[in-house]
Amino acid sequence: MTSDSNCAVESSGLIEITGLSKTYRSKKLALVEALKNLDLLIGKGEVFGFLGPNGAGKSTTIKILTGQIRQTAGSAQLAGQTVSDYRCRRDLGYLPENPVFYDYLTATEYLAFVGRAFGMSDSVIRQRAGEVLGLLDLQHAAKRPMRGFSKGMVQRLGLAQTLIHDPQVFIFDEPMSGLDPVGRALVKQLIKDLKRQGKTVFFSTHITADVEEICDRVGVIVQGQLRAVDKVSDIVIGDTDNYRLHVRHGDGSVIEEIVSRNMLKQKVVNAWADQGALEKVVPVGRNLEDYFLDIVNNVNK
Amino acid sequence: MKKLLALLFMVGLYVALVVPLGDHLRERPLNVKLGYTPDARLLKLVAGGQQTILAESMTLKVIFYFGTVIEHWIQQEFVQPEYFNMFKTIEAAAILDPYNMDTYYFAQAAFTWELGRAKDVNRLLEHGMKYRDWDESLPFYAGFNSAYFLQDYDSAAKYMQKAAEVSGNSMYTNLAARFFYEAGDSRMGVAFLETMIRQAKNPQVKRLYEMRRDVLLAVQTLETGVADFAERFGKQPTELEQLVVRGLIAELPLDPYGGQFFLDDKGRVRTTSKFTEKLAVEPDKGE
Amino acid sequence: MNGFWVVLIAALRGFLRDRVLHALLGFALLLLVLAPVFSLFSMRQVQELSTTVALSAISLTLLVLAVMLGGFSVWRDVERRYTASVLGLPIPRSSYLLGKFAAVAVVLMSTSIFLGFVSLVSVHIAASFYPPDRSLDLMNFMAAIAACSLKYILLSAFALLFSSLSTSFFLPVFGSLAVYLAGGATQEVVEYVTGPSAQSLSNSLITTVKGLYYLLPNFAAFDLSFQAIYGIPLSVEGLLLTFGYFLVYTSLLLLLACYCLARREFP
Ligand SMILES: Nc1ncnc2c1ncn2[C@@H]1O[C@H](COP(=O)(O)OP(=O)(O)O)[C@@H](O)[C@H]1O
Ligand SMILES: [Mg+2]
Repeated sequence: MTSDSNCAVESSGLIEITGLSKTYRSKKLALVEALKNLDLLIGKGEVFGFLGPNGAGKSTTIKILTGQIRQTAGSAQLAGQTVSDYRCRRDLGYLPENPVFYDYLTATEYLAFVGRAFGMSDSVIRQRAGEVLGLLDLQHAAKRPMRGFSKGMVQRLGLAQTLIHDPQVFIFDEPMSGLDPVGRALVKQLIKDLKRQGKTVFFSTHITADVEEICDRVGVIVQGQLRAVDKVSDIVIGDTDNYRLHVRHGDGSVIEEIVSRNMLKQKVVNAWADQGALEKVVPVGRNLEDYFLDIVNNVNK
Repeated sequence: MKKLLALLFMVGLYVALVVPLGDHLRERPLNVKLGYTPDARLLKLVAGGQQTILAESMTLKVIFYFGTVIEHWIQQEFVQPEYFNMFKTIEAAAILDPYNMDTYYFAQAAFTWELGRAKDVNRLLEHGMKYRDWDESLPFYAGFNSAYFLQDYDSAAKYMQKAAEVSGNSMYTNLAARFFYEAGDSRMGVAFLETMIRQAKNPQVKRLYEMRRDVLLAVQTLETGVADFAERFGKQPTELEQLVVRGLIAELPLDPYGGQFFLDDKGRVRTTSKFTEKLAVEPDKGE
Repeated sequence: MNGFWVVLIAALRGFLRDRVLHALLGFALLLLVLAPVFSLFSMRQVQELSTTVALSAISLTLLVLAVMLGGFSVWRDVERRYTASVLGLPIPRSSYLLGKFAAVAVVLMSTSIFLGFVSLVSVHIAASFYPPDRSLDLMNFMAAIAACSLKYILLSAFALLFSSLSTSFFLPVFGSLAVYLAGGATQEVVEYVTGPSAQSLSNSLITTVKGLYYLLPNFAAFDLSFQAIYGIPLSVEGLLLTFGYFLVYTSLLLLLACYCLARREFP
């Protein structure tokens, strides 16, 4: 019994991972180094995208964070408590990868199950269940056993059950998988709303577009190693070398032109001089996809 | 650490409980150990093709149970076995699997002498003879039971005849002749028991037969002594000790069932042991 | 404690909605309804026979339930990855396991109470065909059913222990069946090998048998059917010993199962 988890005052992050490694022993006793020496610090109110190709070690990290498996080395803490202690999950909403839930229960019953596990009272559960089902557009299926749910519906219920107790920290493993475009938009909106409420969201994905739109920071993991951690705004705007100008001429035609940083001033002046309207000046950086592919290709080289 | 202590405490508790529980179970009433056997026709219905193994396990259960009873007898301690259930179980086993010789052998060994159920046993043997029609021991047992326990010499003759036919062995006709010659005599019992002792494989059963034979021999010795005494001194002895004092027998034989031999008012040899009384003094006349 | 109740209630809901379970209970009911018919086979002991049939039907039903529910309830959660969603909640694994066990125990208990009532009716109907010399001893009958359900609760703890050890269902199902068979025989076997009729056996065999006797559960202690059928007085000391034995043995099994499950990984 260690009680030092309570004394971890003023931890610098809500999710704190140091030197985390995991080696699986597969059936034929072969060793798989799924995670190597991961260091990561996620602060309060942050939306963090954990980006990596299939088999990179994202789910491994998340399963350690949620107490499903044990790390081979290193440590991980949630809100200052070590993850092997179930109490660290009292303020967590967790969506597993391709989740399955007791399918003999109805959606409402399952939400009540989760709510009670978090010690909520039945009346609060009833009210919150209605809210979160509405939020994820599942009201029509509230009283149906989950046995008959489609994959997308299960995924949405999975998100609903992370919200019911209104936790501070969210961990989602591939929250967009199995969803149609409407569902994906819904989830993006949901995460943005959570950010607005000051919640911390840590989610994994292999789709760069998901990250670009909603994340504050992104970490790229490839073959079990963290390759880069950056602010999304820095990646998208920071490394800007060129600008794209949209100039409307007198005859109504719009001309797009890519110019370098040095030439920008000159071009803008010219545009004014030609009595054209300078409609847009867009900085052109590497986009997130290029950034991601660069890293992956570098590793593979 | 706390968990380990809790575990150790539980293990200690377990040890403290399991020993008295084992003792308690060992001391269960014997009939509880044997349990209740439902009617064989019902068992046959639900046995689902497993009758043979079911019958064997039932027979073994009874044999094992009876073994514990014999233990008490050998310790010279009288216990009354749960006859009704034992016989019901054996009977059910014989219906489930009429070919199992263990069943008949055991019935003959267990139920005739001390328990005096020769009639029931013969009914069972008759049932077995319909199936084991090559086996001479069933009519042999039945013939002996008829002659010795039931004094029904006609049936005995028929059974012995059958045994002789089945085996093609004239020994049985000789035995039959001998049985009639010694009718009602303990020598007949001794002869049968000697045959059974030679055949017995199970040491406990062998021991049981030997005890019975020893009882019969002891009574025989004493009866001969009493007869000699009367002949020599012209009066009945009043005490068995007189036989020793007068040098007619070397010493008083011991009763294998733990009783004391004595002479009753009518000058008959008796014993304080209930079983010996039953075995040697008043052979059962059937029910 | 909270997690325990949550898991208990969810698991009970699952059992109540399980079709296989409904079919099994239906079958048991059918057996009990037919018990008076079976008992007409016996002319001398109609009540005794119907009591036997009823007790056997209950025992058989509870055996299947204990092995099925005990062996499958945790195993299925692992197999279908329900554990990922359930153990991601703030529920300690020990509460999860104990909740599952309690659910199985509740089902076993309530089944035996329900079937016990049905069989009482059934025995009375049978006895009305041929009124017995001695009416059924109600206390003994209930004691026999209670002891029977304790026995199968203990067995289900074995099944749970096995399913917290193994990823396949072979160990929970066949392991607990093996324990059931062995546990029913230990008392007789140990009495045999320690009796004088077994002097020819080697010492090491006797030691092995004795070791197994103290390790395996002793189900002979839970068999009160003879007392129920013939109304033989029960020994209070024996009942207390049996109950204490049940409590301690089951707790040890659950302790061990919690220890194993806490060390399991669910990748
Ligand atoms: N139970 C397991 N046994 C052996 N290897 C595993 C196991 N689970 C995952 N792996 C391996 O670990 C690596 C990381 O897997 P995972 O964390 O699931 O990746 P992803 O980033 O796609 O979620 C992969 O190479 C995978 O094959
Ligand atoms: Mg994954």
